[in-house]
Amino acid sequence: MTRNGTSLEVAHASVKELIAEKLKYLVPMTIIFMVGYIGLTILAGFARDLMGLKIIGSVNLGFALIGLNYLLSWVLAIVYGRIAAGKFDPLAARAAMEISGRGN
Amino acid sequence: MNLTLGIFIIILLITLGITYWAARRTRTTSDFYAADSKLTAAQNGFALAGDWCSAAAFLGFTGLTALYGMDGAFYALGPLVAFCTVLFLIAEPMRNTGRYTLGDVIRSRMQTRTSLLAAIAGTVVVNFAYLMPQMAGAGVLVRLLTGISYDWAVIFVGVSMIIYVAFGGMLATTWVQIVKAVLMLSAGAIILIMILSVVHFNPLTLFADAEQKYTAKYLLPGNYLKNPFDQISLGLGYVLGLAGLPHVMTRFYTVPDARTARRSVVWVMFLAGAFFAGTTLFGLAAANYVGQEAIRAADKGGNLTLPLLAQYLGGGKGSFGGDLMLGFVAAVAVATILAVVSALTLSTSGAIAHDFYVNWVKRGQVDGKTEVWIARIAAVVIGVLAIALGILAQGVNVAVLVILAICVAASANFPVLILSLFWRRFNTGGVVGGMTVGLISSVVLAMIGPAMRGADALWPLVNPTVVSLPLGFLGAALGTLISGRDTENEKRFDAFLLQVHTGVAPG
Repeated sequence: MTRNGTSLEVAHASVKELIAEKLKYLVPMTIIFMVGYIGLTILAGFARDLMGLKIIGSVNLGFALIGLNYLLSWVLAIVYGRIAAGKFDPLAARAAMEISGRGN
Repeated sequence: MNLTLGIFIIILLITLGITYWAARRTRTTSDFYAADSKLTAAQNGFALAGDWCSAAAFLGFTGLTALYGMDGAFYALGPLVAFCTVLFLIAEPMRNTGRYTLGDVIRSRMQTRTSLLAAIAGTVVVNFAYLMPQMAGAGVLVRLLTGISYDWAVIFVGVSMIIYVAFGGMLATTWVQIVKAVLMLSAGAIILIMILSVVHFNPLTLFADAEQKYTAKYLLPGNYLKNPFDQISLGLGYVLGLAGLPHVMTRFYTVPDARTARRSVVWVMFLAGAFFAGTTLFGLAAANYVGQEAIRAADKGGNLTLPLLAQYLGGGKGSFGGDLMLGFVAAVAVATILAVVSALTLSTSGAIAHDFYVNWVKRGQVDGKTEVWIARIAAVVIGVLAIALGILAQGVNVAVLVILAICVAASANFPVLILSLFWRRFNTGGVVGGMTVGLISSVVLAMIGPAMRGADALWPLVNPTVVSLPLGFLGAALGTLISGRDTENEKRFDAFLLQVHTGVAPG
């Protein structure tokens, strides 16, 4: 039982480390997509003329920013998938082993 | 019209075949609610795409873009960005802490009966607010496409969804969604290629033609959403509301672990995102080739834009190609509604049978076999209720309900869910406070707004999320602080955190 108790403490420490790691990446990534998207809706609401600025041919700034938002979402999804697989999953797997008492 | 009916009957037979196959494999509660958690990331990604693209997305976005330009493109972008929230914050913790329902997550965090009741209320209100306009939309659409009356159309859709859910549970629902997603994406790809060949593979031409035909104002924001705060409300509602839609979130229980849940989100972001981006081009093409006048003549709200565009691209009215394309797109639209209403019925039956009857009334003392039967009966009752509501809704403005569903999801379910997962002090009082304030403020503000009262509106915004969401969070915070500290609950939070991040519960 004592072994299980200390193992749980180790697990808590591992999860703390995992949370810190998640915060390090997720906070900036969340800020990026929120600012990108909500910022776009604010511009659409309050800066309509600016959104009409021509960029390429008849495509204006608004449509260009909408296109960029699509790209941004897809890039963030890929990046998150990589970071999660490379950094979060090993830590989570270690903590899971420690919780079930099989770690050391 | 006969061609549409023919294509649709083929789709219907395929889905019934799937249901027969799924019914033989649906025995335990885990089978019924979660397809035994055995789906792959790609399967769940397709099913999510089938689930998340309602008829409002499939038909509505194209129509909005055709009639109002950039605002339609905004409508289409939001649902993709929404998955960033789900991917970063919700999907994996949801998978790690629940089994079948949103109520499971709240219950495993709070371990109180009152909080479970609040989660049930949030699920049922959102699902019915979403279900009713879908049924009404199905009635209009099936009537238009096949010529049968509105009432029979609603009954037909309702009975199909009851059969899928009651017999085949999550497995049948999932495969109906996958079939629908494949059909929808193929239709989108075919239409896109046809448009591109018309403009010689230069999509910029679509913008130039639209500008020439409807002036530069058409390509500006604000043609549909006149109030700037409505623009922001729409964005917030999408980005945070998706995470509060129980019928989409329960899809994460159909995969074995958090890693697969995450990968399925990446799948849906590419599948549905590509389709949403496509609708913007479809809308511009429709405005250019079909013309806004013809679009408005077919349906004031523009909901028939995509079928009309398909008909034009296929060779026009009366030609075989035109009829075939029209029939195909129309049949896919009906399949879309079937997939979405099935998911809503299944998710609601989970809230009634699993959360309410088994865990609240019987305190978990029900064996699996009985629970599956109760869930099946619940699905039938919910389906019958949905049919009745759908028939009553004929001619009523149900648009306000769509707004309400997403608004309540963002303002009540989302704050409660996210605070349950990440705030140590959050307690049962907070769950009740957030749910009550979020729900009431959404309903009241939507009811006194222009969507319901038109020119007599007591409040200017169609979509109240920009106000009701902060109110929901405020209610959750105040409820937590007023009800005092729950030290037991705070101590348990450490153990809960282990489960949130690893999927393994200590003990």
